Amino acid sequence: MAIEPTSETPMDVDVSVHIEPTLPPKPNYTLRFSISGHTLSISSLKFSPDGSKLASSGADKIIKLWDAYTGAILRTLSGHTEGISDVAWSGDSEYLASASDDKTIRVWDVKVGTELKTLLGHTNFVFCVNYNPHSNLLVSGGFDETVRIWDVANARMLKMLPAHSDPVTAVSFNHDGTLIVSCAMDGLIRIWDADSGQCLKTLVDDDNPICSHVRFTPNSQFVLVSTQDSTIRLWNYQASRCVKTYTGHTNRTYCIPACFTYIESGKYVVSGSEDTKVYIWDLQTRQVAQVLEGHKDVILAVATHPSKAIIASASMEKDPTIRVWFDNTDPSLSQMNSE
Amino acid sequence: MNAALIFNIGHPTTVQTSLVALASFARFDPTGRYVATGRIDGSAAIWDLETRSAIRILDGHVKAVSSLDWSRHSRFVLTTSKDWNVVVWDLADTCIPAQRYCTIRFDAPVVSASFHPRNSRIILALLATGEAFVVDRRKAHFSRIELIDESESVRSGFTIARFEPSGKHIFLGTGSSQISVFNTRTKTLVARFKITGAGAIKGIEFMKNGRSLVSNSADRTLRQFALPQFPAPAPDMQVIEQELEPTYRFNDPISKTAWHAMSFSPDGEWLAGDACLHVATGAADTANHKIYIWDLSNAGQFASTLDGGREPLMHLHWHPSKSSIASTTNQGNILIWHRPHPERWGAFAGGFEELDENVEYEEREDEFDIEDEADMIRRKMKEEEEEVDVDTVPAPLAKARDAPIHGVVLDDEDLEWADEEPDDDQEEWTLQPVMEDEWES
Repeated sequence: MAIEPTSETPMDVDVSVHIEPTLPPKPNYTLRFSISGHTLSISSLKFSPDGSKLASSGADKIIKLWDAYTGAILRTLSGHTEGISDVAWSGDSEYLASASDDKTIRVWDVKVGTELKTLLGHTNFVFCVNYNPHSNLLVSGGFDETVRIWDVANARMLKMLPAHSDPVTAVSFNHDGTLIVSCAMDGLIRIWDADSGQCLKTLVDDDNPICSHVRFTPNSQFVLVSTQDSTIRLWNYQASRCVKTYTGHTNRTYCIPACFTYIESGKYVVSGSEDTKVYIWDLQTRQVAQVLEGHKDVILAVATHPSKAIIASASMEKDPTIRVWFDNTDPSLSQMNSE
Repeated sequence: MNAALIFNIGHPTTVQTSLVALASFARFDPTGRYVATGRIDGSAAIWDLETRSAIRILDGHVKAVSSLDWSRHSRFVLTTSKDWNVVVWDLADTCIPAQRYCTIRFDAPVVSASFHPRNSRIILALLATGEAFVVDRRKAHFSRIELIDESESVRSGFTIARFEPSGKHIFLGTGSSQISVFNTRTKTLVARFKITGAGAIKGIEFMKNGRSLVSNSADRTLRQFALPQFPAPAPDMQVIEQELEPTYRFNDPISKTAWHAMSFSPDGEWLAGDACLHVATGAADTANHKIYIWDLSNAGQFASTLDGGREPLMHLHWHPSKSSIASTTNQGNILIWHRPHPERWGAFAGGFEELDENVEYEEREDEFDIEDEADMIRRKMKEEEEEVDVDTVPAPLAKARDAPIHGVVLDDEDLEWADEEPDDDQEEWTLQPVMEDEWES
């Protein structure tokens, strides 16, 4: 190894000066408004990709659309004959897909508020659904232990993957739509080739805890996995190695999703908890950065806004309200404050 | 993106799917997610390869569609027809039925047309009479100029017209062993290439990086040439007259098969040299659907024949980035060829690695040491302190499309000219699925 003949080697830096450790800036979310409309447990919350709307679904068989910034009700979509477990937005924020215990997935036109398609095929409760980046495909998973890929425009099933040996709890595409990740109550996380439907990788933790939720990181190099041992892990799936562990919350019974959020002060992981709080961890340091209190029941659904420092959370039937939290450090939101 | 988990190089080997499209040809779009097909009844269709269904019907001609081209980010499609028209379609328009974006009318049947590779508002068209035109729809350059070569060999007109990948030059094949090269901006003749013994030039295809071209000609031989650099056009410039010597010749010495169509595979020299480059052709006059593939990285050796059944091949096109070919049969069916990767059943088990051959197992020094649980947790926590990058997409996965094109230099006058008044074909643009209920019928 060649040593550079320079005087600025680390040796010359004066190490005797004690640098006061500067605490990283923390998020400062406060409750902006809380909205009620659902009568039973709220199962899923999703912000539209354009950031203007918030969709919520629940055990009361309806989907409600809200203005993301004011909480005003925009629309109620009803049609499902059983409770709804998950909703997903299309990339252009025009359509919404919903997964229900009535074994169907329905696609809704958000502008008009009508049901466009019903996707039939699952033989048991449909538990999770997601669009691919181009929004021409849907992927879904359910209690029939399969992952299904659908042609949305023609309401036709393209592929059925016998993916797991227990109910599938989460399934989604990566950023370019070439991979699918799924997880199930059998404790396995599987990565699939979207085009051929072949299994490419299986991740399993030593203790094999039930997996409640999984999603890719924005660059698709890692997956964020929530398991029912009250832990969220970030996996490097190519090396099959867990690179980050987030703990502190309680998750032993329900499928609670975790989300990423990028705001002024840093990058965070957000998840609900069975102790009725929302936990926010610093993505890199794994420390709990903030805990949001206010709900009175298990928080089943959280969502993070695609561009602003906004978190939405909702809880089960003792308190079926949606709470929307704004971060005061986001200048664009404090401006909204004064309006 | 999935490339990191899949090992997949080489040419396609089997038919993945066939689309009943009633088409006479099929072309992949630059992203490779769609194929556009032209039909004898004058309509064209856009197929989504992920859902394997037609997502747009472009009905704008009264006679057979003769050719079709995609703009560089797939937003615009042009169709040409024997009804004397070139129609441009904007796929951002989700009207049903699709409305023409613009129509360019000629006074003879149109054989083919193509968009300028950098600006879809410049169109090159070839008529059945052998005349070639550059149509410029930009306000400042609005024109329709015929490309004229006064030489004796072009009397009968041109047989084929193509932009080179940079768009700086236009290559026109003639009926008598010659390719004439024009500058796109000045519309002046730059070079005349003679190809001894070729006869009428039936086809010209460029490698994606513009470094070489393959010609198909009446003597049933494909020739591959390395492309020279052309000097910038000057008023008193001499036209380059040159005899081109092929690097490789591909022919069938026994049955003297005539080649119907040909296509380059997308992988070029910029792909770290590990990929092989192929050229595929379809044979015409046999009663079978056969695709011949040569390996250019291996001295142009014949690599394999793909047999696609009984319906004769009409047209073929290689996928812009993958190991996939779309070939069209005379019955109008489109065969999508791919290279299947073998199912790795080991992937279904966690922490399991499949080996192709035996590997000597080497135990690490501390592999079976009993570690104190507290130490282990501490070690794990230590490991997790490392920063992770969850945003940056690794560079090797960046698009091959950004690879440099032969002959393109900075501040190039020709390219600046082409980039004036750009079209609305932005890179971020994606085709939105049409979800109307009427579509179901």
